[in-house]
Amino acid sequence: MTGEMSAFTFLVEVFGASIAGGVLGSIAGIGGGVIIVPVLTVFLGMDIRYAIGASIVSVIATSSGAGAVYVRDRITNIRIAMFLEVFTALGAIIGAALLAPYIPVNWLSILFGITLLTSLIPIFRKFGEELPEGVVDDAMARRLRLDGSYFDKRLNREVTYHVTGIPLASGYMFVAGIVSGLLGIGAGVVKVLAHEIAMKVPSKVSTATSNFMIGVTAAAASGVYLNRGLVLPFVVAPVATGVLVGAFAGTKLMERMSNNHIRLVFAVALALIGGQMLVRGLGVL
Amino acid sequence: MTVDDTTHGAAGPVRHEDRIAIEDVSSWVLRIGVVASVVILLVGLVLSFVHGGLTRHIMETKTFDLNFAALRQGIMTLQGFAWLELGIFVLVLTPILRVFTAMVLFAFEEHDVLYTSVTFLVLVMTLGSLLFIH
Repeated sequence: MTGEMSAFTFLVEVFGASIAGGVLGSIAGIGGGVIIVPVLTVFLGMDIRYAIGASIVSVIATSSGAGAVYVRDRITNIRIAMFLEVFTALGAIIGAALLAPYIPVNWLSILFGITLLTSLIPIFRKFGEELPEGVVDDAMARRLRLDGSYFDKRLNREVTYHVTGIPLASGYMFVAGIVSGLLGIGAGVVKVLAHEIAMKVPSKVSTATSNFMIGVTAAAASGVYLNRGLVLPFVVAPVATGVLVGAFAGTKLMERMSNNHIRLVFAVALALIGGQMLVRGLGVL
Repeated sequence: MTVDDTTHGAAGPVRHEDRIAIEDVSSWVLRIGVVASVVILLVGLVLSFVHGGLTRHIMETKTFDLNFAALRQGIMTLQGFAWLELGIFVLVLTPILRVFTAMVLFAFEEHDVLYTSVTFLVLVMTLGSLLFIH
């Protein structure tokens, strides 16, 4: 019986931590691996490859749960999501199939960590800005009809926005795909950066659209983990259930938060992920 | 590309009431997929505890190994682990099904060649990296 008790305690601990991952993930537009992976490795002593395997599969639950709510409430821009998914998917294939044998994962983690920490600067510059102003649709955004509007529950009005920087955003997404293919992470954080910095859409649209997209990236990336036997179903069950509960709760919060506060939550997540990648690259974790 | 005046326009407001919105269908596909997969995963956990003998060591070492014949057999005989594997399978398929339904709606509801092609590309590449890259 003691064996079963410890199994049950383990489930409850993993479930609890995953709720936090789902809340943060659904508000910031990232999957939630930033909380799940360290909890499984540092606090529960699991091998990092299994932790990432459980995380990448479970992120699909954050994405689907939060994505379903945001797309129903018309916050997600599905044209942006569909168009940019092409570059993420292409990057993931190139990363996993062609680059993986040549790129040392440690160096890539360090490089990625530094890049993320550096991108805190443009995010900090946007603090205080509730809605982007003076954005004009670029030629590709017009051709692809990417501009849109959503009802902001906090401001209590319809917000119309424009979209720019599509070539730069496509580049970000390609890199996000490569990184997720090589490091086995969803790289939701890069998607949010592309929406915020390159395309200059409101933070709510950015978070909602990123949430919608990461499920597809994670599904593609999970193939590698499933095939290599790095997915533990007994761990995925409590993680996926926890992040789903967290994601549904997170969407309620996010829709009522200001764009500025959402950006603040994202900045915290960005700093945490950047730090984790550095630590992982240096081999400490 | 065919243009139907009641539901389409090059720009400006369009009437949405009489067509199926991709947003609503995507939302339902995601919701049904993720809730179904989590319910199946929970059934798997309950069955595992009911059968007994589950330890933390088993939880941290028994890996996903999909074999359709064994999976079918395990589900029929209420093996907890087979249900867990089925739940993961449903979870991974959910976003892919979301892309597929969007592609069908872009093609047949919106008659939008550009976005039908875009979603088709995403679908092919996602399935490609899921199935063929090991």
